[in-house]
Amino acid sequence: MFVPNEDNTQLSSHFFGDLLDSVIVDVASESHRLAKLGLDRNLEEEEEEMSLSAQARARVSDPSNNGETNGKHVVDIFGQTYPSVASKIFECMNCGRSIAAGRFAPHLETCMGTGRKARLKVTRSTTSAQNRYSRGSPVLTYSLSTNRLSNGTPGVAGEYSNDTYKEP
Amino acid sequence: MKHSVNRPPTPDAAEDQGKEPTLQEIINIKLIESGEKERLMELLRERLIDCGWKDEMKAICRAYIKKKGRNNVTVDDLVHLITPKGRASVPDNVKADLLQRIRTFLMSAAL
Repeated sequence: MFVPNEDNTQLSSHFFGDLLDSVIVDVASESHRLAKLGLDRNLEEEEEEMSLSAQARARVSDPSNNGETNGKHVVDIFGQTYPSVASKIFECMNCGRSIAAGRFAPHLETCMGTGRKARLKVTRSTTSAQNRYSRGSPVLTYSLSTNRLSNGTPGVAGEYSNDTYKEP
Repeated sequence: MKHSVNRPPTPDAAEDQGKEPTLQEIINIKLIESGEKERLMELLRERLIDCGWKDEMKAICRAYIKKKGRNNVTVDDLVHLITPKGRASVPDNVKADLLQRIRTFLMSAAL
């Protein structure tokens, strides 16, 4: 099949145009994507965004909004307020005491942790704990949970007196 | 009565009606199947980047988007925007090179 030259040229131009159109669509699509995603360094927009973010930062660092010095009423970025110490009460599964949520972690440290105070609880109260179990207290499965303290460690704040324990 | 009953009969396959693929279509298929179209496209893209044509087109797009606001622009707008300018501003040597390669292919495909 012999193709004469004139047709050939026209065909070539046609295909060239085809290729070029595809490239043009690619470029347009790419520019469009960059603009829509905000990835393009469009000066005006960026300046506006910078000033908006500077305003937001100023609001946050404003001393009148500083939560730490303001006691109970902290305002976070969503505009919600919450007290600085979590106040919901939980029962410690170890010793059965009622503990505030915000004090729970430190309490557990002494209660069942690895600190000196926790170990003291274990060593001094094994026998007295066994006595207490016989009184029908709820079953505690931890071997370390023998902390019906009778020696009054500092962390307990004197809630227990000797040889007595609180019902959970 | 269902509308589907009254619809026109499904058109027969093209061969039955004597519609043969045009020379253009045949060559297009050959271009694609041989992978030459892809190669030519990559070559054209590379050349247009090297000579700054792509940057020029992107600048035109950015200016337009800046003016219109980025939420009011469609890909279609941009295509229509840069097609005339784009076609006109392809450097002559790039165009000549690509045309030459296409012509070579046509010769080889025609034999």
